[in-house]
Amino acid sequence: MKGWTGHILRINLTNRTHKIDTFGQEFAHKWVGGRGFALKVLWDELRPGIDPLGPENKLIIAVGPIAGVPAPNTGKTVVAAKSPLTGGFGDGNLGTRATEHMRKAGYDSIIFEGQSDKPIYVYIEDDKVQYFPADEIWGRGTYDTHDYLYKIYGKGVGILSIGQGGENLNRYAMIRSLEGRAGGRPGIGAVMGSKNLKAIVIKGSKPIPVADPEGMRKLGIEDLRKVGEINKQTGWSIQSTTGVLSWCNEVAALPVHNMRQTHHPDAWKIDGERLNNARVATYGCPNCTMRCGIAIRDHEGHESELDYENIGTLGSNLDIFELDQVGSLNYLCDDYGLDTISAGDTLAFYADAIEQGAIKGDFRFGDAEMAKKLLGMAARRQGEIGNLLADGTMRMSRAIGHGSEAYAMHVKGLEISAYNCKFCPGMALAFATCPLGGHHKDSWVITFEIKQTKRDSYGPEKAAKVIELQRIRGGLFEFIVACRFPWIELGWPLEHYPEYFNRVTGLTWSLDDFWKISDRIYALMKFFWVREFPDWDRTRDYPPMIWFDPSNADKDGPIAGKILELDKFNQLLDHYYEQRGWDERGIPTKKTAEALDLKDEMAEVEKYTRLE
Amino acid sequence: MPTIKITVKLIGPLINLAGFSEKALELPAETTVEEVLASLPVDPQRPKIVTRNGQAVAPGEKLRDGDRLAVSPIYSGG
Repeated sequence: MKGWTGHILRINLTNRTHKIDTFGQEFAHKWVGGRGFALKVLWDELRPGIDPLGPENKLIIAVGPIAGVPAPNTGKTVVAAKSPLTGGFGDGNLGTRATEHMRKAGYDSIIFEGQSDKPIYVYIEDDKVQYFPADEIWGRGTYDTHDYLYKIYGKGVGILSIGQGGENLNRYAMIRSLEGRAGGRPGIGAVMGSKNLKAIVIKGSKPIPVADPEGMRKLGIEDLRKVGEINKQTGWSIQSTTGVLSWCNEVAALPVHNMRQTHHPDAWKIDGERLNNARVATYGCPNCTMRCGIAIRDHEGHESELDYENIGTLGSNLDIFELDQVGSLNYLCDDYGLDTISAGDTLAFYADAIEQGAIKGDFRFGDAEMAKKLLGMAARRQGEIGNLLADGTMRMSRAIGHGSEAYAMHVKGLEISAYNCKFCPGMALAFATCPLGGHHKDSWVITFEIKQTKRDSYGPEKAAKVIELQRIRGGLFEFIVACRFPWIELGWPLEHYPEYFNRVTGLTWSLDDFWKISDRIYALMKFFWVREFPDWDRTRDYPPMIWFDPSNADKDGPIAGKILELDKFNQLLDHYYEQRGWDERGIPTKKTAEALDLKDEMAEVEKYTRLE
Repeated sequence: MPTIKITVKLIGPLINLAGFSEKALELPAETTVEEVLASLPVDPQRPKIVTRNGQAVAPGEKLRDGDRLAVSPIYSGG
C-alpha cells in the first residue's frame, strides 16, 4: 500500500505507554485520512454520552495521503475529538510543520487516550515516544511554550501546543502551531488540556511513502511555483482574506454589534486596505506559496497576524474599529490558545445581554480594554464571569435566560463565523448544516448566493451549491488534507488533487471517487451527532432565531426591512435533506447509508434511533 | 447632456491594480454597469462580483444618480 504509512500511533497518557496499530487498504480507501480517519476512530472507539473533558475522550491528530509532500498547500493537519463545546463531532485543521514530521515519523494518525496525572508534553521521534514534565510551561501562553520547546529541540521540529485556555478547559480553546496557524474551533484544545497534555513535539526522519516519488516531486514543485505565480499576478495576498470585510460591509453581511447590524460607517478603519498598510510581516504555513498571514503591530507592540474572521468577530462584531486594538485581542486569543471567532462572538453576546438587561455588568460594545481583561478571565476561568465566558454563548445564554437564547449567535453550540445572515438564506443554510456547528469552513456559499442567485430565493439551487461546496471543502480538502485556498481563491483546478493523490498512492481515482467518500463522511458525522442526541430533529439544524425576527430587520441599507422567513427556510432545509438522501429530521436514510457502505454504522445508530 | 454622479468602490487587490480605492465619477445618464467596468484598468476576464447599492447587478443594468458600485474579486472566506 503506497501513499499511507499504514500506521497509527496510539499513546495512552494515563499509564504513559504507546503502541503502533496498523491498518490496511480497506480502511485507507474508505476513509482516506484527516477528517475521515479521525471520524471513523472516534465513532468506533467512543461510547456515546462520555464527558468530552474526561479521560474517555480521545484526541486524534490525522493527516492525509498528500500531506507533507511537495504540492500546493499540503502542510495541514486535522485535530479532532468529541467536542466539549457542542457535544457532537468536533475537528479543525491547522498548518503546521508537524504534518510533514508525522508522516516522516511513520504515522498517518496519532491517538491520545486517557489522562496524565500531571502536566506533561510528549516528544515523538520516529518510533520513540518520551514523556516530559510540563511544569515550566504550564500556565504560560503558546508563544512562550513554543520558545521553550524550540530552545530544547530546535526550530525545525513540529509543535502543537495549547495555551492557558486549553489548560483551564475553556470550551473554545484551540491547538496552536507557531509554524502555521491554530485549529480545532470546537474546543479541541480543551480536550488536550483535559488530558494534561501541554504540547506535542514531533520529529521524523523516514521517507514519506510515495508511489511515484520523482514524478510527484517534479510535479509538486512546479505546481507550487505556478500557484505562487498566479498569487502574484492576481495580487491576492495583498489583502489575503481581509478584502472580505469591505465586501460584507457593502452587501450588508458584516457582523456588527452581536450581528444585530450588518454594516457600519467605520468598517473601513479595520479593512484589508488599512491592514495591508499597517503590515510589518507576512507569514504562511509549510508548503505554501500564497502566504496569507498579514501581521501588524498591536496596541501593545506585539506582532499579531490577522485574517478576516478574526477582524470580523473581534472587531466589527464588538463595535471595535481600531485596527491595533483588534490586533491586541487577536494576539491574546492566539497566546491563550482561544478560537478568535467564538471568543469574539461570546464577548459580543455578553455585551448584548448586558445592553438588553438580561444580566448586569459593566462591559459595553466598543470597549477594547475591558474586552482584553475579559479574554484573560475567560482563558483562566477567573471568577463567575470568567467561568461563564469560558463556556461559550450557548451555555451562557442558558445560564442567563431572560430570552437571551434568541440572540446567542451559535449553531449546535459553535459560534457563527463572521457572516451576518439575517438576509442570506443560503449562507444561513451553510451554517445550519455544517457538521461542526456555526462554521464557514465547510461551505462558503455567500458569494455564489449574492452573485448568481436571487438573494431572497430559498430554492433547490442554494441547497445544491451548499452540498457541492461541502463535498469539496468539508470533504476532499479535509480528508486528503490540503488548504482550499489555491482552488477557491486562485482558481487552481480541482483536477490537480486526484493527480497528486494518484502519484502518491499509485491509484487511478477521479474526482467522482472522492465525492462518494465526502458523502460517506457527512453521513457518519450526522450519525455521530444523532448517537449523542437520539431525540434529534431538524430544529438542531436551525440558525439563531433572531435571524427570523422581523424586529431585527435592518432599518437602512441594502437589506432594509428584510429578514429570513422560517417557513421558507424549512423548505430550503427540505431541499437540502432531499438532495442528501436524509429524512425530514435531517438523518441519513437506510437507503442512503447502504449506498455509502455504512451498514455497520447504520446498525449501531439504530440502537439509538429509528432510521427511515 | 444629462449626467449622473456615482461612486465606485474597489475591493481587495483590485485597489492596487487600478490605483484607487474609491472614486466619485460623473457619467452620462444611462451609463451601464458594464461600461463603467470596461473603463477600469482591471482584467475583464478576471472573475468578479459586482454590486450596486449592495445588490447584485443584472446584465445591461443602467446606473442612476447617487449609485454606489462595488467591485470585488471572488472570495472564499478565512
